[in-house]
Amino acid sequence: MPGSRILCVAEKPAIAKAVAQHLSGGSFQTISIRGNKYVKNYLFDFNFGDPWGICAVTMTSVLGHLTSLDFESQYRSWLSCPPGALFEAPVHISVDKDKTTIAKNIREQARGCKALFIWTDCDREGEHIGAEVRTQAKAGNPGIIIKRAKFSNTEKAHVLRAARGLIELDDLQANAVAARIELDLRIGAAFTRLQTLQLKHLSEELTEKIISYGSCQFPTLGFVVDRYLRVKKFKPENFWAIKVMHLRDEIKVDFLWKRVHLFDRAAVVVMLERCLLAKKAKVIKVNQKPTSKWRPLPLTTVDLQMMGSRYLRMDSQTIMKVAEQLYTKGFISYPRTETDQFDKGIDLKKLVEKQVPDQNWGHYAQDLLGGGFRTPRSGRHNDQAHPPIHPVCWVSPNTISADEKKVYEFVVRRFLACCSEDAKGQSTEIEILYGDEVFHAKGLIVLERNYLDVYVYDKWVSSQQLPTFEMGETFEPTEAKVVDGKTSPPNYLTEPELIGLMDANGIGTDATMAEHIAKIKDREYVAVHSRGSGRNSVKELIPTRLGIALVEGYDNVVAGLSDSISLSKPFLRKEMENHMRQICAGSKTRQQVVEESLDKYREVFIHTQRRINILKDACRKYLVEHATS
Amino acid sequence: MSPHLDQIAAQLLNTKSLPVSSTWLNNVVPSTARNAPVSALTQTALFRILASDFRESLSTSTASSLLPVDIFDPTVQERRLQGTIPVQVLDIEDIGSSLWSQVEAIERVERGETIRGREIIRTVSVEENSGQETDTTSRSTTAGAGENGSTGSQGPHRLILQDAAGTRAVAIELKQVNGIAVGKLPIGAKILLQSVAVALVENGEKGTIVVKGNRRSNLNRRWNSCVPKDAYV
Repeated sequence: MPGSRILCVAEKPAIAKAVAQHLSGGSFQTISIRGNKYVKNYLFDFNFGDPWGICAVTMTSVLGHLTSLDFESQYRSWLSCPPGALFEAPVHISVDKDKTTIAKNIREQARGCKALFIWTDCDREGEHIGAEVRTQAKAGNPGIIIKRAKFSNTEKAHVLRAARGLIELDDLQANAVAARIELDLRIGAAFTRLQTLQLKHLSEELTEKIISYGSCQFPTLGFVVDRYLRVKKFKPENFWAIKVMHLRDEIKVDFLWKRVHLFDRAAVVVMLERCLLAKKAKVIKVNQKPTSKWRPLPLTTVDLQMMGSRYLRMDSQTIMKVAEQLYTKGFISYPRTETDQFDKGIDLKKLVEKQVPDQNWGHYAQDLLGGGFRTPRSGRHNDQAHPPIHPVCWVSPNTISADEKKVYEFVVRRFLACCSEDAKGQSTEIEILYGDEVFHAKGLIVLERNYLDVYVYDKWVSSQQLPTFEMGETFEPTEAKVVDGKTSPPNYLTEPELIGLMDANGIGTDATMAEHIAKIKDREYVAVHSRGSGRNSVKELIPTRLGIALVEGYDNVVAGLSDSISLSKPFLRKEMENHMRQICAGSKTRQQVVEESLDKYREVFIHTQRRINILKDACRKYLVEHATS
Repeated sequence: MSPHLDQIAAQLLNTKSLPVSSTWLNNVVPSTARNAPVSALTQTALFRILASDFRESLSTSTASSLLPVDIFDPTVQERRLQGTIPVQVLDIEDIGSSLWSQVEAIERVERGETIRGREIIRTVSVEENSGQETDTTSRSTTAGAGENGSTGSQGPHRLILQDAAGTRAVAIELKQVNGIAVGKLPIGAKILLQSVAVALVENGEKGTIVVKGNRRSNLNRRWNSCVPKDAYV
């Protein structure tokens, strides 16, 4: 007979079911809860080991966040107060209307239980959801003991280990999320109301529109607009270069100019004349050395999104959704991670072994086990929560959807590539001095493809074979001439590039980037256009007139003010993300962070209010004047 | 001219290779101060020269300290100029990067993006870069070049130089010269050309000077490396 009753709560029904299946060994009782068709309670017995022993378990779940933060009712109507008041207006937490039955289920279940084990995803949001669950459980049973299971995939052995090695809930992480929620609410509502109310009369297309502001959305939009304007303003310029060709052993060797090219034709001609005057070129460097192309680093979320949208022709949000499904089904590890180094303890060979049955890469996996296996390179990031994304078990391609297959294949190939030998080659570099100018030629021979055989996304091919040049020898080049060209504008921003920019500039966490991009498309601040056609088409992000107007408007609002930062720039948000990290590290409190960040944004808010006409002018310029032209 | 002024002029010529004009020197060194030590007066005169227009402050009587009058002679393919020639900079331009990328760099500075903590990363490589594969010599043909605009231009540079007689020549920095960069070398700066070469471009329609040799800056910083320069007019 089991001793105590234990309540387990996961973040999503699918995880609850998967965990219940593993813990119960497959035999559990399913009970529907009233008022919600997704959430179920699963009943079974499980031995959690010391000090819990065999317990009667109720495994249930929530559906993401249980509660939300909102202003008191008197501030909720758009015209109830000046938008600036929202920086201070009282707020309170309440359970979402559609989640009340879930909250009630937790309270009721907690009543007879000795302890609550939280099984939410192990990241910041998961920690906060865990805290929400704790609040409900304590409301039902103030004396309940709280523990947390730490897991990063739903593979059986891993889940069992997590169940027997419970830890504490991390309140610091939960606090960081709470701070972020409050800041997003206040700043978002204040600016959204201000700009919507002020701009709605300017143009017909705005009257019915909510012009939303988000502290991540706007810098994201800023990148798209910045690139768009750079392309639009671009002026092509002529440049000239010297090209030297030498025919030896019937091989045409093209030597490239060390200066690449110059923007002054006469200067280039002078330099060429001096080369010709010198007649002979001298070999000043012959460098033949083994070279290698490194296998990729273990896979992080940002990399998955960037590489995925580049090679799999899916947008980053879809990739994340699909990866999430694969994780929930137990095929891959948790797809939200910053870690690009595998833990020493993880048995990578066993994971490789699981891929042997596959028709496409099974043979490759077999070869790795037969001696080709190498310990993966370690990157510099470790979020201390999750391992790099890797396949947990093999799945037959017939049992998953086409999109799932693509993402799964990418994750597996990347993982196998990580565990392989670098590609090896031989590179030759020859440098010649001709007059006063230096030219060079490079050759590459790929000797061993190694990881490239499985990681089909990387390209590394041999170039032409270079004939022999001796160090110090002189020769008269067959041909030397001036060639010309034109500078070309940058391309419009693509989604993988935008993710890279957001990551490099500290906007959004790896997990939320895809959402912000989807948001600015949704709000009609940017549109997606296709360049090229067929397989080579590239999806580019182009701002709408409203998008450009907002960025230009906010840039103009703060123009000339000292140390005031435009909302279209990433710095304010970056600072906020840093603050979140400081809360997690315990070096700042939630209260401190909320106050500091609100002060910064309030300053910009006041400037915007005072100079609202500048913002209006920008909108008029693009929405009224340009609309007619 | 007083012996004092002669001494000053001689010293400027010997130590700084500056053939100062005696009329100019006479006007510059006040008669009341002529009892001061020669070395102090020489220092004063040097500073005044560096802030002056060479066409007024330097003598044009010594041919070896001037650019040759026939510098544009189309029949001479290339020649070396003897002597040390003081010149002043009328213009400097970076011909290694496109004008547009230079404009963008200036705009970045104006927007305050060169301040620490306010930098914006605008280009990322989506291609997976395995470090050792990066080709450092390839300069982007797009406008992305010159991203680090604040640290001075990369060059090579094209300068317009003028000697004491007012002869102008266009010089091109063939090998990198420390101190020559947009933002570092101001208009009006003074340069000494030593043993430079003049070359010709395109059948003498435009003459070309290839400048080769040691140079010294007006601030007496010595450029030790051999500094070949190219110039056309």
